[in-house]
Amino acid sequence: MTDASSLTTEALAAIGRAPSEDDLARIDQEYLGRKNGQVSRLLSNIAQLLPAEKASLGKAANEAKRAIEAALAARRAELETARLADLAETEAIDITFPGPPPERGHIHVLTQVRRQIETVLESLGYQVELGPEVETEWYNFEALNIAEGHPARENWDSFYFSKELLLRAHTSPVQIRAMQRIKEPPIYIITPGRCYRRDPPEATRLPYFSQVEGLAVDKGLTVGDMKGTLLYMIQSLYGRDRKVRVRPSYFPFTEPSFEFDVSCGICGGIGCKSCRHKGWLEVGGCGMVHPQVLRSGGIDPTQWNGYAWGFGIERMAMLKHDVDDIRLFYESDLRFLEQF
Amino acid sequence: MRISYEWLGDFVDLDGVTPKDAADVLTRLGVEIESLTMVDLSQIVIGRIVEQTKHPKSRNDLWVHLVDLGGRLEQIIAGAPNAVPGSLVPVALPGTTVPNGKVVKDMNIAGFRASGMLCSAAELMLGDDHSGILILDRGTPGEPLTTVIPSQAIMEAEITSNRPDEMGHLGVARELAAGLGRPVKRDFMPSFTGTASPPGRELIKVTIEDPNLCSRYIGGVIKGVKVGPSPDWLQRRLRACGVRPLNNIVDITNYVLLEYAQPLHAFDLAKLNGAEIKVRRARENEKLLGLDGVTRDLTADMLVIADAQRAVALAGVIGGEESAVTSTTTDVLLESATFNGPNVRQTSRTIGLRTEASARFERALPPELALAGARRAASLIAELAGGAVHKDWADVYPRPQEPVRVNLRPALIDNVLGTHVPLEEAESILKRLNFHVKVMGDGEWDVLPPVFRLDVTIPEDLVEEVGRVYGYDRVPPTLPGRRHESWTPLAPSLDRRLDLTREVLAGAGYTETWNPALVSGRKLEDLRIAAHAMRVSNALSDDMDTLRTSLLPSLIDVAVLNRDRGRVDVRVYEIAEAYLARVGEKNTQPEEPLRLAAIATAGSTADDGRKAFYRLKAVLDECIAALSGPPCTYQRAAAQLFHPGRCAAVVMDGRQLGYIGEVHPSVSAAANLEGRIVAFEVDVEPMLAAARIPRSQPLPRFPGVERDLAVVVEDTVAAGAVLASIKELAGDLLEHVRAFDEYRGAQVSEAHKSIAFTLTFRSPERTLTDAEVDKVMSEIKLGLEKRHRARFRE
Repeated sequence: MTDASSLTTEALAAIGRAPSEDDLARIDQEYLGRKNGQVSRLLSNIAQLLPAEKASLGKAANEAKRAIEAALAARRAELETARLADLAETEAIDITFPGPPPERGHIHVLTQVRRQIETVLESLGYQVELGPEVETEWYNFEALNIAEGHPARENWDSFYFSKELLLRAHTSPVQIRAMQRIKEPPIYIITPGRCYRRDPPEATRLPYFSQVEGLAVDKGLTVGDMKGTLLYMIQSLYGRDRKVRVRPSYFPFTEPSFEFDVSCGICGGIGCKSCRHKGWLEVGGCGMVHPQVLRSGGIDPTQWNGYAWGFGIERMAMLKHDVDDIRLFYESDLRFLEQF
Repeated sequence: MRISYEWLGDFVDLDGVTPKDAADVLTRLGVEIESLTMVDLSQIVIGRIVEQTKHPKSRNDLWVHLVDLGGRLEQIIAGAPNAVPGSLVPVALPGTTVPNGKVVKDMNIAGFRASGMLCSAAELMLGDDHSGILILDRGTPGEPLTTVIPSQAIMEAEITSNRPDEMGHLGVARELAAGLGRPVKRDFMPSFTGTASPPGRELIKVTIEDPNLCSRYIGGVIKGVKVGPSPDWLQRRLRACGVRPLNNIVDITNYVLLEYAQPLHAFDLAKLNGAEIKVRRARENEKLLGLDGVTRDLTADMLVIADAQRAVALAGVIGGEESAVTSTTTDVLLESATFNGPNVRQTSRTIGLRTEASARFERALPPELALAGARRAASLIAELAGGAVHKDWADVYPRPQEPVRVNLRPALIDNVLGTHVPLEEAESILKRLNFHVKVMGDGEWDVLPPVFRLDVTIPEDLVEEVGRVYGYDRVPPTLPGRRHESWTPLAPSLDRRLDLTREVLAGAGYTETWNPALVSGRKLEDLRIAAHAMRVSNALSDDMDTLRTSLLPSLIDVAVLNRDRGRVDVRVYEIAEAYLARVGEKNTQPEEPLRLAAIATAGSTADDGRKAFYRLKAVLDECIAALSGPPCTYQRAAAQLFHPGRCAAVVMDGRQLGYIGEVHPSVSAAANLEGRIVAFEVDVEPMLAAARIPRSQPLPRFPGVERDLAVVVEDTVAAGAVLASIKELAGDLLEHVRAFDEYRGAQVSEAHKSIAFTLTFRSPERTLTDAEVDKVMSEIKLGLEKRHRARFRE
């Protein structure tokens, strides 16, 4: 029969040599197993021993058990450290292999751009207002100071259902409806939505498109305020290095009227092929609200004034994402829609 | 409109102002220059044709020219015969690039050397004529062409509809002069040069029958003219602006139109019957042979110029062929009139002809301009075609132009612009633009706009005049802001509230589309969903003549298009309005319900369709769950476009939102789509109205117990009915029940199916024992046996 100390020596040697977790588990069982473990067996005859011998043997067995346990734990930690150190080789995978693509649908690029525009203008305190697409002649033209026979009407060649009803040519009718509903300025609104003009489809224009117009009615608003608002919007959407230029133009519903341009993002305004050597890209129209239009909305132009602007969401998206054909937005080819 | 830089130089000193500078100044003033074409003529030399012979060998018509280039001779071959010996012509020698981009090389054409090219007007970009060599009326052989024709710069300008005065070079030059701070070298009103007797008004009698349509008619008489070609410089300017020269009289009327923006017409006085002009509405069945060779039927809506017998011109649009000036004309009636803009536009639209004249009249010209144009044309005719201008013209002016006065509080300028413009500067700007400014005692300005500016009527118009010349670049950008005592709190927009739905759909692999709302009405009829369709009365084409009543046909088209382009699985959706006319109410706006519609393609077996239906239904449930509204129930339904056995009405809180189902096989077959399609279309607004803010629930403290139950029932028993029974029978301990499988086949008897459910039981107060759950389960089974004649599979 081996004694406790030689048993310990033998066990520790085996542990020190053990190459794996499994071996350690086997050694653990062999020495420390509850019934048949060698340490337990040391005590198998203990009942026949004298009390002093019992105590001494018990102590020796306990010491052996602790020593073996400690050695096992130490060796396990050693093996674990070694295993982790080798992970780079043992479990290496080919990280260049592509994963299976998740099934992801795409949100339409025009929705994304409309969302950005709404977010930027909401941050300035503008509220979104919506209105009908099938409009009356009065809201679409008369209320906006474009009476029948007005030479500017040719700019809004429209689709008619009857003499009275037509598809709105712009979202400006929503401005009138909003003024009539809100009644008391300050009014700060934007009016996103679909519009229609009788232009045959081509790469730069479609008979249907989407606009965002903005309207501010308050006390003491200025052309400077309008410029600042447009600049804030453009820089928020395209980056703070962009510049905005307003050019005098003519619309019956604003006075003064302007077109607004954004400096070309490619050449920075010097002139290049993509801006047709102008340095500027046309974005939309704007101006100080004509007193007659305020009156149409039930607002007293001697008390309040305002500015307004409008542009196409498609145009903004084309400038932002280098899309060269407006028809792509409405063709619904997934190969295009999935690029955004 | 095409504007010649060189022509502007007649009216304003352009020293030190390049064409590019001029274009920039004009654009900043509101005359948008869309393009600037530079025509560099400095490399072209003048040659004199010494000899012209037909090329003996070439099968094409070619002529061999010997050209004197000032001391040396070159042989040049051309395809046009008009450069006869003695002609002065523009020559491009080898190595030069002509303005239209062509590079000239030394050539050998069928054995004959060709050292250069004789240029046409089109090649030099001096006009559109490429039929022959440009013949010069003066110049020295060997000298650069620029000694007789300066290099050109042509601007394409977009003139806004309120500024007809800018539809002529003088008007544009006035703007440029104001922008440059230089004087205009031409008065608006030229002096009258007519002296011949008898007075013009005795030679022609003018009456205006409808003064609403013609507010002024001037008829000037010039006798003894010699009709012939116009001088070179005049022809060149016309060509540069895209007008083809005809003869000196007609050319002068066009020239003055391009200069003053006043359209003019010249009649051969001898061809007018009765020495009389009547401005009247056309008679029924009246016809007119126009200068373009087209005979048109006229209507009483149209205004004509008539002599004693017949219409001789369509007022403001086109002249008549029979009274036109020809090479034999000696006496001319010069018409300068003011016609009603909307009427001219209507006539022009009706006959489908827009002319340089109608484009100007449409925008309402000031009657004062008619006199200026007439005087200018008369003196040019006298100068270039000879003839005597008679004194005292007929000038019928029933509606004299009222002078407009505008009172301006000058503070308005700063208040509107948002920057300080010194008063002297503002006043000087208005004066540069020919406005008369009188400062009144109270500081208000009494402003009289020039007669050619009918667009200025309110103080804000004057602010614009000051602002655009002052320069909007000088107005600093600011953000508005004052202390507001009231406001509207921000409410998320409809579109942003739908982003939750978009997230669900994107996660489920559905891509959003935007499709045109105008579709083919014929197609809606074929699909039998045209009952409430609104048809456009002036559609561009058949395939977009009607507002869609459903989004589904558009999405089916999307599936077809993408299948055709190689995509197998198409899952797409759209959020947009449908348009539903209110029946029986004409002239009322339609309903425009916002809809959410989605479709997914599936395989071609019945089972593929069934599975796709359930997948899509789960997607719709999830869309609704995302809004935290009440869940939907599905009720068997029949709807247009859908499969009769596979369609459900989507119902929320007792209100029908729309339909979900498999698309009817005949619809997908008509669209040439293989396989099955499943789709839904629901109204968005009730969904959003029912949306709630999600409220948190306490997490369960005790474990739940799950049990599966396979229920065998007859085929006709709906899973939904069994599900409802289970919920009812189970009592409070049932937390959740879900059907997860449906089975038909060998394991169950004929005409039966097995539906598998998972039930989750939980108590908020204690851990449930098996015995408790077993008891509930047996009650459920008992109930299902009774209600649905159910059996159970282990």
